[in-house]
Amino acid sequence: MNSSSITPHVLRFIGLVAVQSLLLNQMTGSIGAYFNVLLYPLFILFLPLQMAAPYLILLGFAVGVAVDAFVPSWGIHAGAGTFSAFARGLALMPFAPKGGFSTKDSIFAPATMGWQTFLQGTALFMAMHLLWYFSFSYFSHLFALEIVKKTAAAWGLTMIFVALYVAMFNPKK
Amino acid sequence: MGKLLELLLRNGGFVTFLVVEVICFAMMVNFNTRQGEIWANTTGIFGGRALEKRQMASDYFNLYERADSLAHLVDSLQLRLSNARQVQVPIRDTFFLVSYDSLSRTDSILRKTVRPQFQSVTAKVIKNSVSGANNWLIINRGSSDGVKTDMAVLSPVGIVGIVRHVSPHFSLVMSVLHQQAKISAALPQQKNAFGSLTWDGGDPTVMTLRYIPQHFVVKENEPVVTSGYSLMFPAGHPVGKVYGSPKTDAENPYFLEIKVKLHQDMTTVRDVSVVQNLFKAETDSLQLKIKANEQ
Repeated sequence: MNSSSITPHVLRFIGLVAVQSLLLNQMTGSIGAYFNVLLYPLFILFLPLQMAAPYLILLGFAVGVAVDAFVPSWGIHAGAGTFSAFARGLALMPFAPKGGFSTKDSIFAPATMGWQTFLQGTALFMAMHLLWYFSFSYFSHLFALEIVKKTAAAWGLTMIFVALYVAMFNPKK
Repeated sequence: MGKLLELLLRNGGFVTFLVVEVICFAMMVNFNTRQGEIWANTTGIFGGRALEKRQMASDYFNLYERADSLAHLVDSLQLRLSNARQVQVPIRDTFFLVSYDSLSRTDSILRKTVRPQFQSVTAKVIKNSVSGANNWLIINRGSSDGVKTDMAVLSPVGIVGIVRHVSPHFSLVMSVLHQQAKISAALPQQKNAFGSLTWDGGDPTVMTLRYIPQHFVVKENEPVVTSGYSLMFPAGHPVGKVYGSPKTDAENPYFLEIKVKLHQDMTTVRDVSVVQNLFKAETDSLQLKIKANEQ
């Protein structure tokens, strides 16, 4: 990976952490506990499809820790980011072309996969991330119903913001 | 060795995932209050029974020491019981010293005027820590034995901690060696001047007594007891003795900073009493009124 191919990922890391911490988390505080939008997992989703799993997991941890540092909620976003990075391959597997992702499909985006496949894959990826995040956040089976309700609400809202983000920036690499 | 390396490389993602998730989990339970408390409670419930079994085996080999410790506990309780039977009560504007046995509950005309304030249940420490900045104990008594949160935990010779979480058969006790533990303690040789006893970390046998005004001339080895003002600990229970010469509190020069050597060695504490203040709910409701008036 050369420096020109790293730059979009670095910019996405900084931009998504800033938007998550300075805008979306503040909106949860002012609008209500059910208004949760987690956009930073897009950084993990848009990492190269051929990236080795250990690097992917460490980058998932890094983006989660960066968001945790602002909340602060040490370990909760980091744990969810780590899980999403590990499970990304599993979530996107049903949407891979026959024979698997080729090297030219550098990232999982509408530009390479088409809108329908992208939204289906992202929906599953985000659902897994949100479920893990709220399970860690509540940390008790006593809140199982609350975890499911918040995951469902956050999933719907997050997918709207994901569509807006991708329509605005249309990432290609 | 080569095969192990190959296995790690082939399953690198899974190994990395496990290692990083364990780090995240440790961060979560150590730096987030809610997750930390739930984790402490859960480990207390599930680990409690296993620890109790292990403790039973260990106790069998320490019966001599245990008998000695229990004899000490009985002596201490008998002394406190006989003291409790001598209660001063006001009758027709005059103080009389009367003899009253709070255990027999005799139908005396004085019964309504004598009110035992504390009751206790004995317990055994089944898990203890002293090496951290914030230390906890688990005891083998819980809500089914009448234990509730905010009860004081005492040993025959000193103070041990405060009950913070309760399950049906076990309780999690915040040790006096916890940086959030603040206990009101007094100096009986200084007209019961009282202050706040805290642990600053480091030596687990020494705590610090603050907020004793400068005009008191406190000497080394003076006894330190509970003041009773915390409403959790009964007044006059031994805590320790003044250790070294008191010095001026650097943060508040109007007061002394007094080191207190604890009577109870927290590394060997085993038999304890969990003490309930029967009037705590009543006094708490009055304190809420103070807060309401101040707002």
